[in-house]
Amino acid sequence: MSNSIVANLKLAKAPIYSHCFSQDRSLVAVTLNSDCLVFKLTPGGKPALVATLPDHDKTVTAVDISIHGRIVTCSQDRNAIVWEPLSDGTYKPTLVLLRINRAATCVQWAPSGYKFAVGSSARIIAVCYYEQENDWWVSKHIKKPIKSTINCVSWHDNGIMLACGGTDGYVRAFSGFVKGLDSRDQVANSPWAEKFPFGALIREWYHGAWIHDVQWRSSQEKLAYVAHDGSFNVVDPSDHVSTTFSPEGLPLMALVWINDHEALCGGFSCHPVLFGEGASGWQFSKNIDKDIAPSTPASASTGDDDDEGNAPFGMSALKKFKELDLKGKVSAQVQESTHENAIVELAPYSVTAGNVTEVSSCGLDGKIVIYRV
Amino acid sequence: MEDWRRIDIDAFDPDSGRLTAEDLKPPYASSVSLQELEPKISQLRSAATSGDFLNALQILTTDPPYSADETTKNQYFHAVLGVLTQVRQADITNLVKQLSPKQTDVLVKYLYKGMSVPEGQKQGGMLLSWFEKVTQLSGVGPVVRYLSDRNTV
Amino acid sequence: MSQSLRPYLTAVRFSLQAALNLTNFSSQVVERHNRPEVEVSNTSAELKLQPMHVSRNEHEQVLIEPSVNSVRVSIKVKQADEIEQILVHKFTRFLEQRAESFYVLRRVPIDGFSISFLITNKHTETMKTEKLVDFIIEFMEEVDKEISEMKLFLNARARFVAEAYLGEFVY
Repeated sequence: MSNSIVANLKLAKAPIYSHCFSQDRSLVAVTLNSDCLVFKLTPGGKPALVATLPDHDKTVTAVDISIHGRIVTCSQDRNAIVWEPLSDGTYKPTLVLLRINRAATCVQWAPSGYKFAVGSSARIIAVCYYEQENDWWVSKHIKKPIKSTINCVSWHDNGIMLACGGTDGYVRAFSGFVKGLDSRDQVANSPWAEKFPFGALIREWYHGAWIHDVQWRSSQEKLAYVAHDGSFNVVDPSDHVSTTFSPEGLPLMALVWINDHEALCGGFSCHPVLFGEGASGWQFSKNIDKDIAPSTPASASTGDDDDEGNAPFGMSALKKFKELDLKGKVSAQVQESTHENAIVELAPYSVTAGNVTEVSSCGLDGKIVIYRV
Repeated sequence: MEDWRRIDIDAFDPDSGRLTAEDLKPPYASSVSLQELEPKISQLRSAATSGDFLNALQILTTDPPYSADETTKNQYFHAVLGVLTQVRQADITNLVKQLSPKQTDVLVKYLYKGMSVPEGQKQGGMLLSWFEKVTQLSGVGPVVRYLSDRNTV
Repeated sequence: MSQSLRPYLTAVRFSLQAALNLTNFSSQVVERHNRPEVEVSNTSAELKLQPMHVSRNEHEQVLIEPSVNSVRVSIKVKQADEIEQILVHKFTRFLEQRAESFYVLRRVPIDGFSISFLITNKHTETMKTEKLVDFIIEFMEEVDKEISEMKLFLNARARFVAEAYLGEFVY
């Protein structure tokens, strides 16, 4: 294990599609099949399971914790549930009136903690908020011009602009202005648009490949996104897009801003990759948690057994065993990272003065890893 | 109608929102016609016959006719295949080395296209050695980008 | 390994590596279903990626069709004569009847190919992707060997049978 790893928690035997730490970092919620598990973390101790949130009956796709400690989960069973923490450590579920008829794929609380956005396969983003008189979470829909499944949503710090990306290859920014909850002052002097009526398309960028993650850098008024072609892209209000490709070439799934000029990405190469903005624009800067010197692609290529052609016809049992043992070794050497399968989500873990110093990740191997940047 | 159980009703629903292969084509400003491509094709041919393969490779990997229709693309592709199969095995590595990453991506598109049509399959060995050299130099990246790219050659 | 087999397998390996980056993806056509998008012919086009043909010649090809949550790999095994055709047919049929023990094997090959595999996100989540690629590559190496070995056995057996049978008539 390299020294960039702060913690490595193996929490599940199944893939973790999403995870979220509470504000004080004492709790972590992870998705596991059709449940959501909440673990309590003690320094030096093992994570202890404190609650299981069981109400979904299909794969839970995303989880997020608000600044007030409310947990929201969404699932492929078309529902989202808000879990209110009670004083005895249990959670009280409230079903959200999503009104979508396909899977919910992603969810994020707005910075204020009073509303959240759910992306779905129904080509809809539902912006949900609490309605006092009905004691219910209700939703408003953003439909046009989304053409395919939404993979990711991200709120701007102003709590009004909402970016999304999906399998139609477009990154879009919408307004998620909810009357009575938001005020115009939040978006005064925004460089992106003049007016922000609910559901208005503010900008859109065509990329082509599936978009897997988008994140705002609100202080810089920039938007970054990663896509299935292995690209990391940053756009600014003047629609200037700068594109860089991941060094291994494999698709990127997750992204997190480190500071104004650096971003960390993770994906199918199983270890995070740092991109930085220099004098000549955005560039790959370094691999994290990858000790081995980058091997040339040739060595990772196929069968180097030269003697195979002239081997005797009937292979001896011993030789067969030896070969089976060696199988996959060539590639195993390249994959000496903490995550053994793709990284699907990254989140800031500790932040000092706007700079992220530690990042948490979850992967298809059922691990939560905290990296030092 | 016997097969009515298998009718795809969503195809008749204008509100289904389903995207077809046509919808995925990137928004092109204009389409390239065969006439406009003629000079490029003859350039390719003459470069190939004179043995100037580096030049030919530069031409074919720069600005490919993405927006043209299928027949035009096929015409153009014949010229490209001619170039790719005339190069000597030993020269391939050197030629591939002189391509920019963008040009390599285009080359990979032509290699996959070549292996999907019968004329190219006859030359399979040649295309495969191109492919091997490309992956030796640039790894899996160009292949991943080929997969997601909606611009076809 | 023969000189032209190596680039062929390398190309298949890289193509598979590029294709086997799958995500859990719920159907956007059918409610509460999660199906391999590559197997659904009338699905949304944006969920499929460019298909990849890797051909050594007209008789030996691999077709890799990637989609958002599944990849279909179809292999055309070399069949030089009628005996090989029969052998390949019998051999692949034998495997396909036991498809559940191979996890990624498809019961029916797609048109024009000898055998097909279907790899979904469930497989890449529970198994190492590298090993899955190794499995396919190894299968391709082995199947050619297996077929030519069987052909040799068949010929030897035919010769033996003919000798034994016709031996009766030798006085």
